[in-house]
Amino acid sequence: MRHVGAIAGRELRSLFVSPVAYVVLTLWSVLAGFFFLSEVIQFGNQVEQLQELGAFDELRDWNLNDHLLMPFFGTMWIVLVFAIPGISMGLLAGEKANRTEELLLTSPLSIWEIVVGKYLAGASFVFVMTLIVAFYPALLFVYGDPEVGKTLAGILGLFLVSLSYVAVGLFASSLTRNYLVAFFVAFGILLTLMMLPFIAELGASGDTFGGGGAVASTLRWISTAGHFEQIAKGWIDSGDLFYFFAFPLAFLVLAKTAVESVRWR
Amino acid sequence: MGEVCRLGNASPETGGEGLWVRLRKPRRIMSPRPWKDRHPGMSLEQKPLPRAADPGGGAVVSEPGGTPATSWAIEAAGLSKRYGDRWAVEDITFSIRPGEVVGFLGPNGAGKTTTMRMLTGFLPPTEGSARIAGHDIFDASLAARRSVGYLPESPPLYPEMTVESYLRFVARIRDVPRTHRREAIDEALERCALVEVRAQVISSLSRGFRQRVGIAQAILAEPPVLVLDEPTVGLDPLQVREIRTLITGLAEGGAARRQTVVLSTHVLREVEALCQRVILIDRGRKALDAPIEELTAGGRSLEDVFAQVVSADASVAKGRVS
Repeated sequence: MRHVGAIAGRELRSLFVSPVAYVVLTLWSVLAGFFFLSEVIQFGNQVEQLQELGAFDELRDWNLNDHLLMPFFGTMWIVLVFAIPGISMGLLAGEKANRTEELLLTSPLSIWEIVVGKYLAGASFVFVMTLIVAFYPALLFVYGDPEVGKTLAGILGLFLVSLSYVAVGLFASSLTRNYLVAFFVAFGILLTLMMLPFIAELGASGDTFGGGGAVASTLRWISTAGHFEQIAKGWIDSGDLFYFFAFPLAFLVLAKTAVESVRWR
Repeated sequence: MGEVCRLGNASPETGGEGLWVRLRKPRRIMSPRPWKDRHPGMSLEQKPLPRAADPGGGAVVSEPGGTPATSWAIEAAGLSKRYGDRWAVEDITFSIRPGEVVGFLGPNGAGKTTTMRMLTGFLPPTEGSARIAGHDIFDASLAARRSVGYLPESPPLYPEMTVESYLRFVARIRDVPRTHRREAIDEALERCALVEVRAQVISSLSRGFRQRVGIAQAILAEPPVLVLDEPTVGLDPLQVREIRTLITGLAEGGAARRQTVVLSTHVLREVEALCQRVILIDRGRKALDAPIEELTAGGRSLEDVFAQVVSADASVAKGRVS
């Protein structure tokens, strides 16, 4: 695994000289700013409304974490579904498009080193994205007093989701030499993952999957949503952490298999 | 087994009976390997490689008792590659001595690139195996890959990197020791006449320069064996001459670091200018393997020799179809 650093470093440097990284980062920052601002305004309006209605009991439970940051993180999670395929699409597809695949596969590298190196490059990029998002909750600490633990948990949740999504994107990128195909395959998988809880609901209500029993709960477990919500709420459970370990690992294994398959043909 | 793929003038295959023996496809030239063994890095057990045929008059003799003859730079035994139903390369056997410059010659689509990809570990052979500097491409895949520098058909460059940072990356993944990297990069830049563009971004370089960066990448780790796939294709005459000088220089670089060079081309003049020996590949098979002097001994030109071999082969192929 000593070549991982070389692979990851080269990929990161290439990412940051390509326009894609800057387009994604710019859009990400702008969207984060926009959604944060809209949440702040909405939060203010709601507080005002509650005051006018004289609903002081509810007002007492109203807080920055549950009513401003949670929806904000939730929205950014949806943005991730679009943003991550954008940065992951070139990770392995780029090597094929450049014909540099031949350099990597004829060098004394193991395929795991290539895949893990690429993944680490994506993970570092996603870390930068998380830092950008973390800037906005940090602002809240200047003007208000949200709970530190819960805020950090939300940021951690978003980071863990991004890491999982990068693994999905890496797998999609390993299948093709075409960036667009890699983008849409990743996007499709992520969208399906996001919709799994709804599919599970359908099953639960309509008896399609045997009364929402084992199948529905399995679907719910596979989907990122539940685990993300738990962590963002501040419930850091070993089960959810295990999910965020196993999920990316599964896609890394798939990506490794796909890269290796060049040799089977 | 036991069939030697040598189609020299004196070989029995050129005469009636021998030819028909040869036309029956030797589907299995060695005992079948389990699937797992075909994938580099998945099996570590040592398996004896069937001895490659002695190229005749070989200065090096394999040691008794089946130990690998490490003195060969490249030994290929029955290399075959099948894509679907089509055999792209079939039963190619040859051995190359250290310091030799050998040309793979053949029409486009003859299987030169596939053969080179198998030697460099990019593709595993469907059947047969090879040793690079004594390392089996299956059983000692990493060591074999470490021993060979490879310039693919299109140089594997990252367009957004500078020449120097690209070579630094290659030095790292090709295991050039950290303390030696600086020196190795400087030397490769100098040998390939790239010093003045070392800080330039690769996408801004001309084709000739890119090709030289590709060669610099291949020689950087000073592997004992170099495999160059069409190193001069698409270059202008001046650039062709520069690259040829460079390749000649590689093989002459003093006893300590003299490299074995295998290059492919479909230009006859190139073979004459650079190589001591020619392996002609036609329709996936080795059609000829001989030193250049031997071929041109009777005052014949290489062109005549090749036209003869290729057309003979073609008529045989036609006969097989009808």
